[in-house]
Amino acid sequence: MVSEPRMAVDLGGIRMKNPVNTASGTFGYGWQFEGFFDVSLLGAITTKGCSAVPWDGNPAPRLAEVDSGILNSVGLQNPGIPAFVEQAGEYLQGLRDRGCQVICQVAGHSLGEYARAVELYDELAPFASGLEINISCPNVSQGGAAMGATPQAAAEVMRAVRDRTKLPLVVKMAPHDVSEIARALEAEGADALSLINTIPAMAIDVRSRRSRLSRPTAGMSGAAIHPIAVRMVWEAHKAVGLPLVGIGGVRTGEDAAELILAGATSVAVGTANLTDPSSAPRILAELTDWVRDQGVADVNDLIGAVEC
Amino acid sequence: MIPSSGVGLHEFEVVSNEEVATSTWRLVLRAPALAGSIRPGQFMNLEVPGDPSHPLRIPLSFASADAVAGTVDLVYAVVGEGTERLSHMAPGQRSTAVGPSGHGWRLPESVPVRVLLVAGGVGAPPIVAAAGMLAGAGVPFDAVLGAQTASRLWGEERLSSLGAGTVLVTTDDGSRGIKGFTTDAMSRLLGERDYGLVMSCGPQPMMAGVARLARSAGIACQVSTERMMGCGFGACNSCNVTMAAGGYRSCCSDGPVFDAEELAW
Repeated sequence: MVSEPRMAVDLGGIRMKNPVNTASGTFGYGWQFEGFFDVSLLGAITTKGCSAVPWDGNPAPRLAEVDSGILNSVGLQNPGIPAFVEQAGEYLQGLRDRGCQVICQVAGHSLGEYARAVELYDELAPFASGLEINISCPNVSQGGAAMGATPQAAAEVMRAVRDRTKLPLVVKMAPHDVSEIARALEAEGADALSLINTIPAMAIDVRSRRSRLSRPTAGMSGAAIHPIAVRMVWEAHKAVGLPLVGIGGVRTGEDAAELILAGATSVAVGTANLTDPSSAPRILAELTDWVRDQGVADVNDLIGAVEC
Repeated sequence: MIPSSGVGLHEFEVVSNEEVATSTWRLVLRAPALAGSIRPGQFMNLEVPGDPSHPLRIPLSFASADAVAGTVDLVYAVVGEGTERLSHMAPGQRSTAVGPSGHGWRLPESVPVRVLLVAGGVGAPPIVAAAGMLAGAGVPFDAVLGAQTASRLWGEERLSSLGAGTVLVTTDDGSRGIKGFTTDAMSRLLGERDYGLVMSCGPQPMMAGVARLARSAGIACQVSTERMMGCGFGACNSCNVTMAAGGYRSCCSDGPVFDAEELAW
């Protein structure tokens, strides 16, 4: 009899029973998926980004479908951290108690807003296993991707938030210059990195000659960006010793396995949650099969194990 | 306790899929759990096989559901690549539907004396579902049904057979019924009878006109909104509608039916 492989991983102090996580913004606050599967099967979920005060987000339309992907321009609509805790806190505490880690995403327009948001989570969200600092949203005018565009800017955000909490901090990175920015974040005390955020992209309705979204550009996700994510995770893994969350077009266990071989400790399912809401537990099952088929006893032995 | 939206994944089988008016198709699905639980004005999100590079589901409202037969009756317009692919699904073919989604039509606690239904184009199916609800509750109703042209008209017979007092048809080109807009016909009916509620579904500019007329007549108005959707169950915030009080709510999980007064027009 073949014994079950060990699937538990340690994401910078966030102890996950398996590597499967969800990409922020595609998984609501988790409870929306309980009608499709037992969310506590997952190693972690990452909740929609919240800021200290409510953000309206961008006007409609916020979504366009393109070949093998989608463009979104949601713009981090959220009710603010206190309202988030009120709406979802009880559920998320229960989820944590059921063995699934809860990573809460932090949004801000400025260093001060990031710091305040981290303080609020630290004070109001005992269910949080860790925080994901989003310095790479392409859909907000101030802050967002600009906060993580250079190693210096990314380091400044880390300095602003690092001492506000003892929770593990994951930093969500933009899809460019990942090696340099990853090194800067490691130097400032990040516990883990998640990559990639959506890729800035554009889709035009040629009849009306207008953008298909309410803003000229938007963030692209889905199957088309998967090979780019694999490459960038591989680069970040070579650049730093931090554990990584691999994100980008994961639809199958094989997609997840690629990210793990490239260097990811955890793998987050994103756009696939929208098209097949029960994809995350299927991907976990397929990933477990792959680890077993590789003949290893522990998934950790496969992290970064690509042979080049 | 785990909160629940009541939305789940259901397997369905195509019973029939036929063109019933120009670019307008009627799809009957067998999906017993969905047929037994979906309420008028709610919708479902269909997985349409055949193109893995376009995996987004297609949100469709329904015209009627038969809990005994386990079937749901949908009518949709072929407007793009996804609905074109849907029109090629054949009887016996299987796929999945996410639903029942959203909040549907609401009958007020103090039942209105008479309801006016106003549908434009592809907005007809949920209005037929509303008519079914009113007929079941014994509330009298009239209907206005508009289309660009006669060949695109669907729903007149269904509304009549559900017991509509009057059905006024309008077409933009005058090829059937009154030449003009649904709001013209609505004005006429508002001048003839007293209504306690208006329910409307159609293109945004039409619903804006309907909401304006209802408001100036002092009649409550519900509208069913439509947006490009991601998940269809409140997880991704992609299908926002603008609220009169500021900010946005989600078409899929807060709507698709809203009180017209709540929305920014």
